[in-house]
Amino acid sequence: MELQEKLEILAASAKYDASCASSGSSRGGRGTGAAHISGVCHSWTADGRCVSLLKILMTNECVYDCAYCLNRRSNDAPRAILTPDEIAGLTFEFYKRNYIEGLFLSSGIVGSPDRTMELMLTAVRKLRQEYRFNGYVHMKVIPGADQALIDQAGLWADRVSVNIELPTDKSLRLLAPGKTKDTVLVPMNRLAHKIAEHKDERRSIKSSPAYAPAGQSTQLIVGATPETDREIVKLSEALYAKMMLKRVYYSAFVPVTKDSRLPALTEPPLLREHRLYQADWLLRFYGFKADELLDEAHPTLDLAFDPKTVWALNNLDKFPVEVNDADYETILRVPGIGVTSARRIVRARRAGALRLEDLKKLGVVMKRAVYFVTAGGKYEGIRKESGEAIRTKLLEHKPSGNGQLDLFSQADLVRETLPATVTGQL
Amino acid sequence: MRTYLYNGSFESFLTALAMALKDGEDSALAMEGQAREDLFTEFVNAGSDPAAATAMRELFERRGSAESWQHARFAFLSETEDRDAALLAYARLIKEKGAAADNMLADDRVKRVHGLSASVGGEAHMFKGFVRFSELADKTLYAKIEPDHNILPLLTGHFRARLGAFNWIIHDVKRGRAALYFRGRLIFAPLTQQKALEFAGGEAAVQGLWRHFFKTAAIKERTNPELQRRNVPLKYRRHLTEFE
Repeated sequence: MELQEKLEILAASAKYDASCASSGSSRGGRGTGAAHISGVCHSWTADGRCVSLLKILMTNECVYDCAYCLNRRSNDAPRAILTPDEIAGLTFEFYKRNYIEGLFLSSGIVGSPDRTMELMLTAVRKLRQEYRFNGYVHMKVIPGADQALIDQAGLWADRVSVNIELPTDKSLRLLAPGKTKDTVLVPMNRLAHKIAEHKDERRSIKSSPAYAPAGQSTQLIVGATPETDREIVKLSEALYAKMMLKRVYYSAFVPVTKDSRLPALTEPPLLREHRLYQADWLLRFYGFKADELLDEAHPTLDLAFDPKTVWALNNLDKFPVEVNDADYETILRVPGIGVTSARRIVRARRAGALRLEDLKKLGVVMKRAVYFVTAGGKYEGIRKESGEAIRTKLLEHKPSGNGQLDLFSQADLVRETLPATVTGQL
Repeated sequence: MRTYLYNGSFESFLTALAMALKDGEDSALAMEGQAREDLFTEFVNAGSDPAAATAMRELFERRGSAESWQHARFAFLSETEDRDAALLAYARLIKEKGAAADNMLADDRVKRVHGLSASVGGEAHMFKGFVRFSELADKTLYAKIEPDHNILPLLTGHFRARLGAFNWIIHDVKRGRAALYFRGRLIFAPLTQQKALEFAGGEAAVQGLWRHFFKTAAIKERTNPELQRRNVPLKYRRHLTEFE
């Protein structure tokens, strides 16, 4: 099989993995390549998703038969496998032309988890040692592989990840026979442990080797199983706190195979995915707790409003906020104010009291913020503090309820939080 | 009313800026050949004085801060029409208020220079991703760029750290200038392409693989050309291998 044909098959199989980040590491030194702490996007595909890594599977052969997966054993599709030399060579040729930041290597299970992990490690080791490649490498860890092999992944890769795939054990058992909560959480926990251990060690001995310096991430599929948004957001919160994950990715379910256990969707739930990312951002950068966003009586994220606006409307007693003396954390909770504009407010008010008309210049979206702030005691929102009236006004300024249009604001959200990611949280 | 003329270099610009600053409120500065003649303006050639330029730098750095100096440098590279006036107003403010000026984010003078600086920094960051090298027959990596701002000086450190083992050229074809990195040495020089480039043997094949990968990586069910256009504006696509 020609290299081009292999690449096509294995890139097509890898594209559903949402992770594209190349951030969080600042590798460098002799040889070729370096990693950029805030990551670099090199292009965007026709679906508007960023390309920063050569994202491929080593092979799409697989011993498993997971219902949601394109590479399931029972799927009659052409199969291919790349050799470690091909993977390393291709990464290097793409990298030196500046097409990519590095490699994202995942794989179906060929032979056994151990065998698969060994081959992946050989490819990445070759890249690091023979090509002396210092660019970014994201490596998937194969659940069920031997602990010693899993441990090695972090020595060669900048980021490691084990995909959770489905939010509950029950769903896993239903759709992914051969996987359980434990097959995912055990290696994840092990990696979290190793990362923390190496960090401590490097604090006292600078020369000790880095271990997955960009940390660990995971991904789960949204909309293939009946879990609520609350269950998902609570799970993410726990993963950030207990497993120290850098990122949880959400992937709107795209029905790529036919299976009676899967829901019949006409299109992927992109707006829901978008709302989950917004909630996730609120957890990581805005100081929110999952319980503030969703509770048992309201387990679903509102599709009409972003979760911060919903929270504000439900907590009108906490508003309006006076921008001239509220603390940063409080300002950050105002709809229409993001990380960048909140920082600007805190900085600009040192030079003099802020007026309402100044806020727009600081990047605040006044169409939304106007109902929630005062400046020097001045308020230009709705006098009668009625949630319903504000809700109606906010809806007037919505571009449209259409999911596609709304997705644009995710790019803004990402851009807005970029300064925060300079320190490597992304 | 005096307008101080500089020759286009940063050193000459800083010399002119220092002179305009000393002169008083109604002075201005402009690049040679771009100043509009009128009856009331006296034009003064500022020349290029390293000592005056250093003094100007110190005013930004010490009276202001490292941040003020960075904004001034980046805003200069923006090459927008209002750059000279914006930087003069900003320099006056730094002189008057010191480092506190950079906190006045709602002030139009500060906002404009910070904005220009952010737009230059943003474009430089984008081009760390958008530069596309092709391998020439002699193994040199060659890339063409056409950025809005003069960001070439902000790219070289990045590529030096990554591709230090190669010889490379980044060619700003809009400005006819290039950064040439050869055996570990970097120079900036005027460059116009005289003859057709001779590519390495495997170059077309690697480019083909990349285009195939790029096409395959898109998810059909999520097609969203509007979002793609926001992220990769059409004006940047001309030199991107995957859009050729």
